Amino acid sequence: MKVLVSVKRVVDYNVRIQVKGDGSGVNLDGVKMSMNPFDEIAMEEAVRLKEAGTAEEVIAVTIGGDKAEEQLRSALAFGADRAIHVKVNEEVSPLTAARILKAVFEKEQPGLFLMGKQAIDDDNNQTGQMTSALLGIPQATFAGELKIDGNKATVVREVDAGLETIEVDLPAVVTADLRLNEPRYLKLPDIMKAKRKPVETVSMADLGVEAAPGLTVTKTSPPPARAAGIKVKTVDELVAALKDKGLV
Amino acid sequence: MARDIQGWGLAWLNRFAGSAVVQRMKLNKPAEKALYQASKTGFKTAGAANRAFKSVQKLVKPARLDKARPRDLFDLTPTDEQAMIQDTMQRFAEERLRPAAYDADNACEAPAALLHEANELGLAMMAVPEEMGGAATEYSAVSGVLQAAALAQGDMGLALACLAPVSVANALSRWGTAEQQSAYLASFLDEKPPAAALAVTEPGALFDPFVLSTTATASDDGFVLNGVKSLVPLAASAELFLVAAKTDKGPALFILESSTQGVSIEAEPAMGLRAASLGRLLLKDVKVPAAAILGGKDSFDYAEMIALSRLGLCALAVGLAQAVLDYVIPYANERKAFGEPISHRQAVAFMIANIGIEQESMRLLTLRAASRADQGKSFIREAALARRLCADKGMAIGNDGVQVLGGHGFVKEHPVERWYRDLRAVGVIEGSMLL
Repeated sequence: MKVLVSVKRVVDYNVRIQVKGDGSGVNLDGVKMSMNPFDEIAMEEAVRLKEAGTAEEVIAVTIGGDKAEEQLRSALAFGADRAIHVKVNEEVSPLTAARILKAVFEKEQPGLFLMGKQAIDDDNNQTGQMTSALLGIPQATFAGELKIDGNKATVVREVDAGLETIEVDLPAVVTADLRLNEPRYLKLPDIMKAKRKPVETVSMADLGVEAAPGLTVTKTSPPPARAAGIKVKTVDELVAALKDKGLV
Repeated sequence: MARDIQGWGLAWLNRFAGSAVVQRMKLNKPAEKALYQASKTGFKTAGAANRAFKSVQKLVKPARLDKARPRDLFDLTPTDEQAMIQDTMQRFAEERLRPAAYDADNACEAPAALLHEANELGLAMMAVPEEMGGAATEYSAVSGVLQAAALAQGDMGLALACLAPVSVANALSRWGTAEQQSAYLASFLDEKPPAAALAVTEPGALFDPFVLSTTATASDDGFVLNGVKSLVPLAASAELFLVAAKTDKGPALFILESSTQGVSIEAEPAMGLRAASLGRLLLKDVKVPAAAILGGKDSFDYAEMIALSRLGLCALAVGLAQAVLDYVIPYANERKAFGEPISHRQAVAFMIANIGIEQESMRLLTLRAASRADQGKSFIREAALARRLCADKGMAIGNDGVQVLGGHGFVKEHPVERWYRDLRAVGVIEGSMLL
């Protein structure tokens, strides 16, 4: 079975995000970029499937500018066999991404499409669902556990009410949640090997994909600063304060 | 020039105010006032008559100079691989080394499982050439600096414990003869590679690595080693040592297996770097074969070895200094005194700014020396400069780290007291670490 994994280049989760002064977006100058953590989890799961003998080939795909190749190299160091770089310099909306991923899926015909449940930059949580809908194949989102058995996958989903176990036919789109696994540390020799693995570069035109009419960002602003709290000495005081604010 | 004009103007006003005509015509009050005003505000005069500026040449776009041609001499941008390696190491340091550091410091020992995990990252593999089955395609001192600094950001003692065997592998890879490499270097590819360490420092006063008191006397079938080595990392567990000793042809390194007769180990718990299990290596009439001299007769350069080992220590100090900086900034912003964060006090803010400046200068000097080493240029002087700076400023940064935290810095609740002790080692230790 072939496993396709999509990865996205995002601002590193440790970076304190700063909004540009003119509100046109987030400041990316000199900011550390990494692979989306949920995509790392998806990648790890794919590599584990390969190590367990369930998967024969792991292919990583990313959509982004020239620099996104760094994240593909990380994916290759994780253990992907080859990578596909869909070069797009503009901002990509979830629907455009889904269209691109659909085209890549149709070209590669994998048995399983793994990706992160959402990217930590836009937090859209749409691409996986849209891709599966466009492809007309099952989806299993927020996966906390994944078992492959022949042509079926059993996925334990982390939903608001608790855990939901579902069975889907393969091929399917599975999106990884936080507790699916703990990604490994990249091994130094694997990092060195990654640069010799093949990366295929394609454009949207090569894939015959058109960008979906996008959203326009009108303004980006930092979250409002939290006002300082107050200390109360007794429960009565607390109740009085809450009543005063009309909260109880 | 401005003063000249003003002086000239004032002199003229002075003469004018004091002149007989002005006195006689009762003009001296306003004239004196003019003098007062002029000396207060500076002499004012109309702008100089200027030439007519004409555009001689019509430009379509502004003429700008190109950036100076980049030269490879001092480009410190890490390669993609170096950046990824640094990233992985930093993550490992933060998630694995840092939480284990407190206990390892107390126990004077790095947990075996942790060292195993570090080895799993392939640290030693990176010292073994590809043709031997390792992963190294090139030797790079800069990569070594980045790796060591990244690990030390987690903890310096544990970083040294992880890197001590790698240092021996590096030395074998760089200078070892074919026989030495096949006998010893290959063992670093094992799942459980040997614990190993470099032993250069000696306990005497004013230790100079070029004036060794450990001796290697030529005998019929090899050498006889005698002397004491101190502050040797992993001393008790190491199976393999590289020992610096004086021969009649100058200082050299000798490959020494720990089970050789005449070798004994003493624990030497120290102020800092405790997780590296420092110990003393006592050599009494230790017989080693003639083939034990690293690099055979010629291919070994002792001065270069010392320089690379100093750079290794510098790299550790750079990493740990970064850890101090990253720790004190949020602390100073969150800790409140007199109703506001202590970072609002200049005494604190300036201290932190200085840590930043000093740490960056340590990094740059260290990387510059390493980058010269990679280019095949002489780097002994640069490594010595880096060492001096890292020893002085490393200690200062350790001290300032404690100071910013005040009473909190003194107690073991925070790691800065350990870092203070660890950073103290840079000025004391020689050759326990090699890039």
